[in-house]
Amino acid sequence: MSSHDHEHEHSLVPSEPALRIKALESLLVEKGVLDPAAVDEIIDVFEHRVGPRNGALVVAKAWTDPEFRKRLLADGTAAVRELGFLGMQGEEVVAVENTQNVHNVVVCTLCSCYPWPLLGLPPAWYKSLAYRSRVVIEPRKVLEDFGLKVSDDKEVRVWDSNSEVRYIVLPERPAGSETLSEAELAELVTRESMIGTGVAKAPA
Amino acid sequence: MNGVHDVGGMQCFGAVLPEENEPVFHAEWEKRVFGTMCLAMIDGHFNVDELRHAIEHIAPAEYCAVPYYGKWLRGMEDRLIAHGVITREELERKWAEVQGKGAAA
Amino acid sequence: MSVTSKEAVWPIVTSSGHLRVELDRPARYKVGDRVLTKNVNYPAHTRLPRFARGKIGTVHLVHGGFPFPETMAQSGDPKPEYVYSVRFEARELWGAEGSPKDAVYVDMWDSYIEPAPETGR
Repeated sequence: MSSHDHEHEHSLVPSEPALRIKALESLLVEKGVLDPAAVDEIIDVFEHRVGPRNGALVVAKAWTDPEFRKRLLADGTAAVRELGFLGMQGEEVVAVENTQNVHNVVVCTLCSCYPWPLLGLPPAWYKSLAYRSRVVIEPRKVLEDFGLKVSDDKEVRVWDSNSEVRYIVLPERPAGSETLSEAELAELVTRESMIGTGVAKAPA
Repeated sequence: MNGVHDVGGMQCFGAVLPEENEPVFHAEWEKRVFGTMCLAMIDGHFNVDELRHAIEHIAPAEYCAVPYYGKWLRGMEDRLIAHGVITREELERKWAEVQGKGAAA
Repeated sequence: MSVTSKEAVWPIVTSSGHLRVELDRPARYKVGDRVLTKNVNYPAHTRLPRFARGKIGTVHLVHGGFPFPETMAQSGDPKPEYVYSVRFEARELWGAEGSPKDAVYVDMWDSYIEPAPETGR
């Protein structure tokens, strides 16, 4: 069924992935079905224009605007769209809130699903077999790999994003941040705190 | 399908190793795979579910050893061939060309 | 089939499209319902992970209608169904090794679940 079944028999396959994608890209360009300038553009979008800063702005707004927080938790998709964060791999969004009693953490056990418009592309560890396999069965130990100890009286909720719904964690607002502006608060929101493998930074 | 990709609950993959100040991409070729993949799907050559299924068909040892974007590349080649966007012969000819082996017939 | 240009990239990747679809039937389950996941083992594509097959959980959220991955992978036919977020206690999934306090939430297409038996577990 799949042409992969025979792949290893082909000694022609370039051992270097750089050559292998070069071959495919140049073939597609020759055939007129790919514009290399569009490839450059999409790389630039996800390397420089879309990243965890977007998610941090959502979190900071939820921390300072109780009505927005309510909307975010009730309908994440609509709330993040209010701020203009929508698009590929973020069409439907659910936000889950960390509290005194609950710590949330997100994974995709089957592949690497991740809310691109809010967090950009996932880090290598998120896509690793170690993370994908272990966080559902021993979340507390995995969080310790990140230096995060969740107290025994807190409940840990692991969210497997195995459908097209994308999850983002709304981390707890750090103590001592009461006087900070929304922009200053956004600086405390790390990527890991929105996946759930970390918490927001304490104010300096 | 009961494939090697379905790893939830396995305990054999060791520690999770976060990287300090990780770049979005680790090599130029990863960027090209990413961009080409996005456009292939945007242009409607295949859908995400069949791509995932193609990646699930990568042989287990290879699935575990190949880097992330290497799996994307294999899945993408498989789907582009399956839908007749390219042929395996054309791809093999390009492979020979980029490796400096000349354009075989 | 059109070839995406450089100028078209940004509008497309930030487009306002939804994957959720309206279904002309009500959801079979509501929040709080106990469901049993099917023990599927077909060779086709599925998004029902092995660790969550044959397990009892509770519907936490009704996400709405979404294309069905099995038919999408096979033929591109969406055949949309309701998808639910279902909560599984760690003990249900992992036995005695599971934490008595923790839980895993897995998204379930309607085809993946049936009502949980009244008795047992």
